[in-house]
Amino acid sequence: MTKFDAIIIGAGHNGLVTAAYLAKAGRKVLVIERRSVVGGIAVSEEIYPGFTYSTCAHLGGSLSRQVSQDLELDKHGLKILPLNPLVFAPLPDGKSLLIPRAPAAIAGAIGGFSKSDAAKFAAFSETTGKLVRSLKILIGTPMPNGTARPGSNFSELGGVAWKLHRLGSRDLQEFLRVVPMSAADFLNEWFETEVLKAALAGTGLLGAFVGPRQQGTSYVYLHHLLGETGTAFRTSGLVHGGIGNLTQAMARAAQALGAEIQTNSDVERIVTKNGKATGVVLRGGTEISAATVVSNADVKRTFLTLVEPTFLDPHFLLQVRNIRSRGVVAKINLALDALPRFKGAGGNDPAAYLGGVIHIGPTIDYLERASDDAKYGRFSKQPFLEITIPSIADPSLAPAGKHVMSVWMQYAPYSLREGTWDRQRDNLGNLVVDLLEEYAPGLKNSILHRQVLTPVDLEQTFGLTQGHIYHAELALDQVFFMRPAPGWARYRTPIENLYLCGSGTHPGGPITGLPGFLAARQILKDFQKRT
Amino acid sequence: MKKYDAIVIGGGHNGLASAAYLAKAGMDVLVLERRHLVGGAAVTEEIYPRFRYSVCSYVVSLLRPEVIRELELTNYDLEIIPLDSTCTPLPDGNYLARWGDHAKTRREIARHSAADVDAYEEYGKCMIQMAMAVKPLLGTVPPRLGSWNARELFRLAGVGKHFHGLGKKLLYDLTKLMTMSSADFLNEWFETEVLKATMSASGIIGTFMGPRSPGTAYVLLHHYMGELDGAFRSWGFARGGMGTISRVIADAARHFGAEIRTECPVERILVKNRRAHGVMLQSGEEIEAATVVSGVDPKRTFLKMVDGKELDSDFTDKVSKFKVRGSSGKVNLALDGLPNFTCLPGDGPHLSGAISISPSIDYIERAYDDAKYGNFSRRPYLDVIIPSTLDPSMAPPGKHVMSIFVQYAPYHLKDGTWPERREKFGDTVIDTLSEYAPNLKDLILHRQVVTPWDMEQEFGLTEGNIFQGELTLDQLFFFRPVPGWAQYRTPIKNLYLCGAGTHPGGGVMAASGRLAAMEIIKDRKSPLDFSD
Repeated sequence: MTKFDAIIIGAGHNGLVTAAYLAKAGRKVLVIERRSVVGGIAVSEEIYPGFTYSTCAHLGGSLSRQVSQDLELDKHGLKILPLNPLVFAPLPDGKSLLIPRAPAAIAGAIGGFSKSDAAKFAAFSETTGKLVRSLKILIGTPMPNGTARPGSNFSELGGVAWKLHRLGSRDLQEFLRVVPMSAADFLNEWFETEVLKAALAGTGLLGAFVGPRQQGTSYVYLHHLLGETGTAFRTSGLVHGGIGNLTQAMARAAQALGAEIQTNSDVERIVTKNGKATGVVLRGGTEISAATVVSNADVKRTFLTLVEPTFLDPHFLLQVRNIRSRGVVAKINLALDALPRFKGAGGNDPAAYLGGVIHIGPTIDYLERASDDAKYGRFSKQPFLEITIPSIADPSLAPAGKHVMSVWMQYAPYSLREGTWDRQRDNLGNLVVDLLEEYAPGLKNSILHRQVLTPVDLEQTFGLTQGHIYHAELALDQVFFMRPAPGWARYRTPIENLYLCGSGTHPGGPITGLPGFLAARQILKDFQKRT
Repeated sequence: MKKYDAIVIGGGHNGLASAAYLAKAGMDVLVLERRHLVGGAAVTEEIYPRFRYSVCSYVVSLLRPEVIRELELTNYDLEIIPLDSTCTPLPDGNYLARWGDHAKTRREIARHSAADVDAYEEYGKCMIQMAMAVKPLLGTVPPRLGSWNARELFRLAGVGKHFHGLGKKLLYDLTKLMTMSSADFLNEWFETEVLKATMSASGIIGTFMGPRSPGTAYVLLHHYMGELDGAFRSWGFARGGMGTISRVIADAARHFGAEIRTECPVERILVKNRRAHGVMLQSGEEIEAATVVSGVDPKRTFLKMVDGKELDSDFTDKVSKFKVRGSSGKVNLALDGLPNFTCLPGDGPHLSGAISISPSIDYIERAYDDAKYGNFSRRPYLDVIIPSTLDPSMAPPGKHVMSIFVQYAPYHLKDGTWPERREKFGDTVIDTLSEYAPNLKDLILHRQVVTPWDMEQEFGLTEGNIFQGELTLDQLFFFRPVPGWAQYRTPIKNLYLCGAGTHPGGGVMAASGRLAAMEIIKDRKSPLDFSD
């Protein structure tokens, strides 16, 4: 039996990042993955012969530059393909909004709808740029754990407060004002064009249980601009070879640094002795011990299924149970015989329209109504869709002339009031395809294969409690020092030597690698203290 | 011509309170009220002969004890009669009632859920703790964020120290309360749907949000912040209606020497070189004053009463962005007798309390959904009281007045105008209530329907927002009414704001009026330059 410095439960992207950083610091690390493939929700799979799906996540452009550089992911085969164009938002009447990649060209594109909006766009981008820089102060910093008792940890709290105060009166006020707002209210202050507002607001809805009129969606919008700024639109990217290549590169980096990765191994429980984690037991009974156990599984799964509850303080358990992780996203992957012809994507070169994010959600009201359905336990009759066709930028993903289409659908609530997801899966798939057919006539007939992943499927396939892609909703009461639970924002847990490193910790999803990076930093700091 | 030390525009309760404080400090003060009576949204009017309606605002809880003490309001015949209960009838004939009598409430909740009895107790304790923690802020002038001014840093440190001193648990609980939806927040505590719904309803009053909207949990706290005669979390009804409160504050203001003129609508504020020096009335009369204090909402003040040339566009832009979407309506009824509720037939103590039509969270959320898309709720949330059961002077013997607060009634309708749809809206409210009290329609002698549009016309509230501005996180404390100007001062020198559009906001607290007056008095003693 080998003794490891750290066992990482789950080879999601954050788990791999933590493993790589720990290995880089000379620690002996073992990553244990339940599935046969590493990557968590960032995986590519050939579900239908010849077509590579990015099964769940499909955009990789938010990855932290620092993580990418530290781990030399490009050397290990990571290649990000910038979105081009950024967004194509078709409207039911055949018009469309096309946001080009070049920042200078965006105003011109908006001008087709509104001169006034076009004139304001540069100033708006400047404003969001400032807001994002302010947000970065909080995102890249480990959160203070509040005040254990008056006086303690004051320097931590004060440190963050000081950095914010230094922004100066104007920027600080604007930042604190906008963060809790609704995306709709924030965008209404600037623009009049519905589809422009809707395309921007869509970014504020990813993984959110609420609609664009609800407070806190401005925060989610800014959160998604973190990856790379420049304009008010997310300048994300696709990954060459599928999103799975991102996590493959991470795995190779971790292995090159000395980490071991063991797939097809299901952790049954975390072993604790005298309130300290000492290792894990695999399904089948094998026990592996380690000085530290790091869970990349979501917080609820970690504490409600992997740890014996009698070892936990009831108040902490209550906090964990109260984490809201209501999944709202369904994923539909399509293998297509030909490139779809979207109305509004005219001209001889449809790829010039369809190479980036295709946004279906023409108005703020449309998006809000889509979220209304989820409140009453139904999936949206008219859903919000975020689509990519990665085979345009990377033809290796499908046979020549054929394509893969990746569709995020919102809102599909994990808890249905009527029926089960098993019974509703096909209805959901049909609804999405029918909606697509309206925007891209003929698409239906070109479908060679379809994969529908409901929130229940996401839970079962990837182990995400309630199918939540970010492990826990990015709601204002569940971010920063409140993430994953009040008092535990430092990746530590009430069980000594047990850490968290997943998306449920600060700063949360999407695929940034930051939770894994910050967790590794904390673990290494604690290692030093111990020795 | 006489020059006043201060002119207060608008005789609402905050304007009157400001005037009283300024007069008490020895200033020569004039209050100018547009209507024939003072009180703003806190008025009692005899719309139908011998029946007295609290036309708009209808209950009191948050009136600051320091205002009562400092203005010696107890000298002026102010009596608050506590509302003893909240009863929520259910469509199936059941109900949930909460009483002043604690044991009775426990028994009643136990009828619905044993687990919720204990949770209710714990919840109450937790909320009172939080209310105590937040309450000092009601009497605190918000500091200027990011400022390097010594006084501001000192103020900021004061607020920081206050919160830091609360300890970890309370701080986290407060963070949750400030950011969560009331539905999510209450779900962590309770299982009984009607209990959650009725409690969540208090989180949505005056907002353009539903119980599932993040940011509504904070307003729950208001229900634990009130104190009447030292008793926490009690709501009451002023003898003689809400107008009594305004009248009493007006009496105090006059006692300290303030002059009050009614039927004097102000046309605009006179400004020269960015300094206010008086007002011009609609009649054309100009009145000079060293200080002008506006109790009028910020939008009306700056976008209607001040010449735009005197303001820089950045400030005007901020004021335009201030969200004031009205969402509430009011129906006042003169009744021939008492309504008979199916769930509790006949007369009974429940008729002397609040009756809440809020059977489930979904019900209120659906009501909100209607408003989001520009319609009044097909089945609205109602908060009903029958003041005449507590104060017989409100109606002739044997007859009654009923006050129905209604949500949602969005100011901006998708179809038609409010004058066109006013009565239809009234019908919807009566139909809704009649489902629970079938004899109601036969009792109605007179009905007054007050829509957000009417509130704007009648009380001068922009978009009919009862709090002069939505109470959302981005519009509270440092940010109320706009970032950088949360200290009652304005970019126009000698012009101040004192209404609910300033910190701490609406709810007949008179806190804004008091704090504004204190800042004005401070500036008179030591004029400071706040142009940083």
